Amino acid sequence: MSLSYTWRLLCLCCAAFFVLHLALAVATRLSAGTAMRMAARMKPSSAARFLFFLRISPMALTIFAVLAFCIPSYLWLEPEAAGEQVGFICFLMAALGSAIWALSITRVVSAVRGTVQYLHECERHGRKITVPGEPSPALLLADKTPVLAVAGVVHPRLVISKRVFHGLTLEQREAALLHERAHRTSRDNIKRFLILLSPDVLPFLRTFRALEHSWAKFTEWAADDQAVEGNSHRALSLASALVAVAKMGSKPKLSYLFSSLVHDDHELTERVDRLLRPQPNPGKPAEVLVPFLTSAGALLTGAIALVLLWPGSLSLVHQALERLVH
Amino acid sequence: MGRLLLLGPLEAQAMEVLWAVGQGSVRDVVEQLDRKLAYTTVMTTLDRLFKKGLLDRQKSERAFLYTPRLSHGEWERQRAGDLVSGLLAGSQPSRELLLSSLVDAVGHHDVDLLEQLEEKIRRKRKELSKGIQG
Repeated sequence: MSLSYTWRLLCLCCAAFFVLHLALAVATRLSAGTAMRMAARMKPSSAARFLFFLRISPMALTIFAVLAFCIPSYLWLEPEAAGEQVGFICFLMAALGSAIWALSITRVVSAVRGTVQYLHECERHGRKITVPGEPSPALLLADKTPVLAVAGVVHPRLVISKRVFHGLTLEQREAALLHERAHRTSRDNIKRFLILLSPDVLPFLRTFRALEHSWAKFTEWAADDQAVEGNSHRALSLASALVAVAKMGSKPKLSYLFSSLVHDDHELTERVDRLLRPQPNPGKPAEVLVPFLTSAGALLTGAIALVLLWPGSLSLVHQALERLVH
Repeated sequence: MGRLLLLGPLEAQAMEVLWAVGQGSVRDVVEQLDRKLAYTTVMTTLDRLFKKGLLDRQKSERAFLYTPRLSHGEWERQRAGDLVSGLLAGSQPSRELLLSSLVDAVGHHDVDLLEQLEEKIRRKRKELSKGIQG
C-alpha cells in the first residue's frame, strides 16, 4: 500500500509503538512475579509506588522512545518524496498499535464518563456537607448502598451515604475519613486513570490483572497506614469501621481493579488483621528501590545522551524504521 | 420501579401534570400540556404509565381518573437510588468508576466471618484498655 509522507509517519509511529510496547510489556509481565515478591518486602506506600511505575513503564517508555527517536529520525532523515510503499507487516503492526490505543482510550473515556455521571447524580440528589479537612464539600447521599469513597480524578470529591455517615461511631467515621483523605493526597484516582490508560500486551488481553490487583491492595494498605499513623486506637477504629461498613450489606464493586481473582473475605480479613497487629518493621524500602530507580534513570539518561551526542543513533533508528516499513 | 429511568419525554410531562393537579383525566392532562397533542396519544401514554405501575386509575363516569402512585419527591429519590445503583451495578464499563473506596473489595461477606472479625476487634480493644490501666 502506498502512503504519503505524513500518513507513513503516522503508520510508523503506531507500528513502532506496537513493537516496542510488546517487547517491554512482555518483559514487564515476565518480571511481574519477582516484582510482586519484592513489593511484599517493602513498606505498602513504596510497594504501591513501585508496582504503579512498573505497570505504566511499558507505555511511558514506549511513548518516550517514539517521541525521542522515531519521530525525529523520520523527520530529519526521511526524504519528502511522494508516496512510498508500506509493507503488510508494518501495516498490520500499525493496526494493532492503533487497536491497543483505541481500546485504552475507550476504557478511559468510559470510566471518566461513568465517574462524571455518578458525581453529577450525587450532586443532584445528595446534600452538600462540610467535612473538616476536605477542600470541597462532601456529598451526603440518601442512597441505601453503603458508600464512602473519593470520586473523580482532577478534583476528587468525598461521597458518603447517610447509612455509613450515621451508622459509624465518631471515632470510626474519623478513621474512615482519614483513610479516604490518604487516597486523595496520594492521588490514587489519577494513578487508576493512568493504569486504565496503559495498554495491555495485546488487544483484549488482561495480562496485568495480578499486578494491578497487587497495586490496589498495597494502595489500600498504604491508605490504612497513613490514616492510622501508628496509633493503635485509631487502627482499631478503622478496623471496626471496615467491618461495620461490610456488615451494612453487599455493595456493588466500585473499582475495575478488584476482580474475583482474590476472595473478598480474604481481602477484608487481611486488612483487619494488619490493623489489629503491631506492624513489623517494613524494612528499608530505599535498599530495594534505589538500585531499581538508579538503573532506570541511568538507562534513560544514557539513551537521551546517545541521541544528543551521537548523531549516528538517529540514522540507526531510521534504518530500523525503513526495515519496518518494507 | 427500575423502569422509572426509562420514562420518555411525554411520559415525564404527563407525570409532571398529574403531580401538579393530584388527579386528572386524559382530557385534563391534554389541556395542561405545553404542546398540543392528540387525545389518543395522551390516553396511550397514561395507559402505559398505569401499566408501568406509576399511576393508579379509577373509573369515573365514562373516563378514567389517574393518580400518581408516588409523590414527586418519592419519585426523585427512587430515581436517584435506581440510577446510582444502576451505575454501580451495571456492566463492566459502567463499573469502571475512578474512585477510591473505603471497602473496595466488598461483595458478599460471610456473616460468621464478620462476627469473627468483630470478636477479634473486641479482644484487641480489651487488651489495649488493660494495657492503659496496667
